[in-house]
Amino acid sequence: MTNVTAATAERAPDRSAARRRRAILIFVSRYATFIGLLAMIFFFSINAPDTFFSRANFINILSQASLTAIIAAGLTYTLVVGEFDLSIGYVASFVGLMVAGFLAKAGLPIPVAIGLALLIGIGLGLVNGTLVTKVRINAVIATLGVGTMLSGIGFSYSAFPIAMGIPREFTNIAIGRPLFGIPNPVYVMIVVLVVLWIILNKTETGQRMQAVGSNIEAARLSGIRVDRIKMFAFAVAGFCAALTGVLLTSLLGSGTLGAADGYLLDAFAAVFLGSATLREGQFHILGTLVGVLVLAVGFNGLSIFGAPTYFQPIFKGGVLVLAVGLSTLARRYAASG
Amino acid sequence: MVNNTAEIGPGASAATRVPGHWIEIRGLAKHFAGEVALDHVDLDIMRGEVHGLVGANGAGKSTLIRCLAGVTVADAGRITIGGEEYRQGSPQAAEKAGLAFIHQELNLVPHFSALENMLLGAPKAKRLGLIDWKRSGAGARAAAEKVGIRFPLETKVSELGIGERWLVMIGKALARDASMIAMDEPTASLSAAETEHLFALIRELARSGVAILYVSHRLDEVLDLSDRITVLRDGEIVGRTLRGSLDKKGLIRAIVGHDVQTREDRKRADVARSGLPLFSARNVARGSAVKDVSFDLWRGEILGLGGLIGAGRTETARLAFGVDRLEAGHFELEGERLAIRGESDAIARGIALVPEERRSQGLMLDQSVAFNITIAALKPLRSIAGLPIVSSGKVRAEAGRMVRRLSIKTPGVGARISGLSGGNQQKALIARWLGHGMKVLIVDEPSRGVDIGAREEIHDAIRDLARAGVGIIVISSDVEELALVADRVVVLHEGRVTGELTGDDITEARIVELSYLDRGELGGEGT
Repeated sequence: MTNVTAATAERAPDRSAARRRRAILIFVSRYATFIGLLAMIFFFSINAPDTFFSRANFINILSQASLTAIIAAGLTYTLVVGEFDLSIGYVASFVGLMVAGFLAKAGLPIPVAIGLALLIGIGLGLVNGTLVTKVRINAVIATLGVGTMLSGIGFSYSAFPIAMGIPREFTNIAIGRPLFGIPNPVYVMIVVLVVLWIILNKTETGQRMQAVGSNIEAARLSGIRVDRIKMFAFAVAGFCAALTGVLLTSLLGSGTLGAADGYLLDAFAAVFLGSATLREGQFHILGTLVGVLVLAVGFNGLSIFGAPTYFQPIFKGGVLVLAVGLSTLARRYAASG
Repeated sequence: MVNNTAEIGPGASAATRVPGHWIEIRGLAKHFAGEVALDHVDLDIMRGEVHGLVGANGAGKSTLIRCLAGVTVADAGRITIGGEEYRQGSPQAAEKAGLAFIHQELNLVPHFSALENMLLGAPKAKRLGLIDWKRSGAGARAAAEKVGIRFPLETKVSELGIGERWLVMIGKALARDASMIAMDEPTASLSAAETEHLFALIRELARSGVAILYVSHRLDEVLDLSDRITVLRDGEIVGRTLRGSLDKKGLIRAIVGHDVQTREDRKRADVARSGLPLFSARNVARGSAVKDVSFDLWRGEILGLGGLIGAGRTETARLAFGVDRLEAGHFELEGERLAIRGESDAIARGIALVPEERRSQGLMLDQSVAFNITIAALKPLRSIAGLPIVSSGKVRAEAGRMVRRLSIKTPGVGARISGLSGGNQQKALIARWLGHGMKVLIVDEPSRGVDIGAREEIHDAIRDLARAGVGIIVISSDVEELALVADRVVVLHEGRVTGELTGDDITEARIVELSYLDRGELGGEGT
């Protein structure tokens, strides 16, 4: 026994050094995204005080970020319960096309068209949820399959953009600035984020979602209806995707095939970036917002500095890889505690 | 440390330095997280012998085998094979030394053929860089013949029965010139005929000079087959015996130990076992794990479910909690027949389960202590009744109350549960059900991997609950724990009840005896 204690005593300083190293790493991974965001804002503000550091540009950044933030918040829900949704971009595109069709082709009143569009989004989320929980298809496969099918169905509905016959009142939704000169989508984003934050952090459903994400087996043995919780998360993801699709159609003034497909990658980059923010590798709404802002500020700054357009996907892909890397590292260090 | 090694049977002391020792293990010790798994174990294995290795769950058998297999490195001690130092911690070294290990799960690739499995990982003859299956397979075919494989070696393993798979595993070992084969509970899923065949094969292998390390809970088989038997208890070798010098009773005594007895100061609750039981199992069955289990549980009683791993205790608990579906029989709660449709249904009726695997089935490790305690009963913690908004203040208060009630040691209710000790984590999992007003609580392995002090506290918590009128079922592989905490013990063996012990009859020896009781010894009850 004595030689054992001697050995641990020898290793003690070693261990405290390791602990310090771990604490530093956790700090870096917690605040890296914040620091990165602030550093970018600082850098752009110094170098382009007139163009970047202006109220108009900040509003511009926020409105660019709003659609990504809404769809990414929905995606956050599926990741919180330990699943994936690769269909969100396609759902947004499809719903965007459908809402244009409802207005222009079917001539439905605007509230009815939007209501229907959002219901389609929820329905598609429930389809994803059913495939994942009841049929037990891997979420990546199920949602990719559903998304791909949607792009085909959208094509069969209208291969060409639907622009004619969309009422002005609908396109005004995305452009309208009711208060402080801030456009509507930003307010929609704030409402969505606040509601989703409250649900996730303050309600029974939210607690159960976190339990499912933490340890699905333990959640089940605690009497949580795991399948229902997952269905709910997928439905929210579908709803958020549909909302993004509707807003995008309003913003573009037309329903275009595949218009929102690119939001998938943006949303993933933002959510993973967010998961490494403040908490160690947990997905959460506030983190997602920070992730979205990092992307939006980055894009904005790049375009102000006249970076060639091909640089955008490089930046986006780079951020995604970096974000997932950071989030994985953070989780590993948290687990090794 | 007191040396309480009991040399049981004649000739045992002579067996320390006999020529022909092939594997010599000296002073092997291993600790896991401060708990002793192996305590200076000396063991010799000779070529051409069947060496039985027995002991209760957690006695150190698996650790010993893992050290030999190169999966685990011992803290102290050395192993020599044929006089040469054996490098620990390398599965490759184990294979080179001719040691083969067959675990219960049989590491076979199901969609590979028997031949491919036998050659898996072995160097293969090649022609032009491609595997020459014909030449490579020659050795395997010879081995297959030796073990008596009668099916074509091209058959996929997924199409083979369990008995045939065992033959493939043994053939695989022989194809690599294994000079020792360790087998872990080989007959657990074999039919009587397959068992016969396996035994004949084992004897023949021993005759041809292969050493067999035979690990099993089935003492009759061990006694029948082994030339020598080594008994492990709490990481120490407590008995060595030669064939014919010990009977089953003696072996059980060695496994349990003479000195451990039921504590006299343990007062069993005087539960009124008349009238309507609180909870009953009536001939419940599912698959081969639970064949026919019946018992009653009264209000305020702690019922112990004893038996070996695989006896069907956890499986019975899973049936009662609605995790798995019943195939026959039913449960009754307060005389009313239950049809449980799932975990949440069971909880709604007042049945709760603290699962066996604390980390994988119980804890939400990245969440706080308060989260883990309150997650199963959020409704009473709403900020406004009727609105599903959880009040974080009420969550903290409720968690704080539980922390005090079960004296859970934690820096605070907001601290992550992963930082707590195993015993305190276990108490938090029990606390999860306290706010629920449940009637029946099933606790599976309440003190696994927990130190003595925490075990005492967990037992106190369980007794407190029972006094409050809850019916409690404690499942434990630790017979001492059952003897300490249970008011009544029902013992299972291979999915059937082999006996019930009450009052002074609850002794460790009796529980172990019933755990090993085979169906034939029940006197025809099993049919």
